[in-house]
Amino acid sequence: MNENRRQILEMLAAGKITADEAERLIAALEPGPATSVGQQTGSAASSSATGATPKTRAKYLRVLVDADESMTGMKGPTSVNVRVPMQLLRAGVRLASLIPAQAHDQLDDALKGHGVPLTLSQIKPENLEELIDHLEDLTVDVNGSEGNTTKVRVFCE
Amino acid sequence: MIPNFAVIGIQTPHWHTPRLWLPLFLLWIPVILLSPLIFLVLVGFAITTRTTIWRLIAMAWGLLGGLPGTHVHVRADGNQVLVRIL
Repeated sequence: MNENRRQILEMLAAGKITADEAERLIAALEPGPATSVGQQTGSAASSSATGATPKTRAKYLRVLVDADESMTGMKGPTSVNVRVPMQLLRAGVRLASLIPAQAHDQLDDALKGHGVPLTLSQIKPENLEELIDHLEDLTVDVNGSEGNTTKVRVFCE
Repeated sequence: MIPNFAVIGIQTPHWHTPRLWLPLFLLWIPVILLSPLIFLVLVGFAITTRTTIWRLIAMAWGLLGGLPGTHVHVRADGNQVLVRIL
C-alpha cells in the first residue's frame, strides 16, 4: 500500500472525510488517462462505483450534414463535414472568462431574446469544463422523412 | 502541439485549385520579429479585460495547441471548400 493511499484511509478512519470522498481520492490516485478535476468528481467516480472500465476520451466533435437538391434548392447534393478537436473547444470556452463584467448584462439580455435564459456571471470555468466533458456523450441523429433525405449527425469520436 | 501545416482546397464547377499546403511553422519568423509589438497588444488587452498577461498567453497557446486535427469540408451547389489543419 503506498503512502498516499494509507493517508486517505487514515483520514477516513479519523472521520475527516466521507467514504465517497475517500473513494474519489483513491480513484484519482490510480494510474490512467489524465483527467481534469471535474472529471475526477464525475466520470471517474461513477466508473469506479459501477466497476466499469473507464472509456477512452473523445478527441473530436464531428458534425455531418447531407442534404439533397430538393431540400436546399441548390444544384447537386450539399454536404458538410466538420471535425473540431475537443481541445480547441476547451480552449474556446475558457475565452468566455475574458468577457468583461459590464458586457454580461447585455449578453444575458441578447441570449434571453433568443430563447436562451442564461446568466453568464453564474457560469464558472469548472462548469464549462464539465459541459465539454459531458459533450463526449452527445449523439444527435436527424433523418428527414416524407421524401426529405436530409441527414444530420452530431457526435464525438 | 501547435499547427505546422494548413491544407486548403477550393473547387468550383469551372475551376479548382490544387490542394495548397501552407507551412504554418514559417509564421514563427514574423511572430518572433513582431514579438515586442504582440507583447504590447497583449498587455493592453490584459488591462482592458482585467486579467493577467500570463493567463492570456496560456489561452492563446491553448487555442493554438487545439487547432491541429481541425477539418472542415463543405460541398454545396457544385462548389467545394476543404480546410484541414495538421
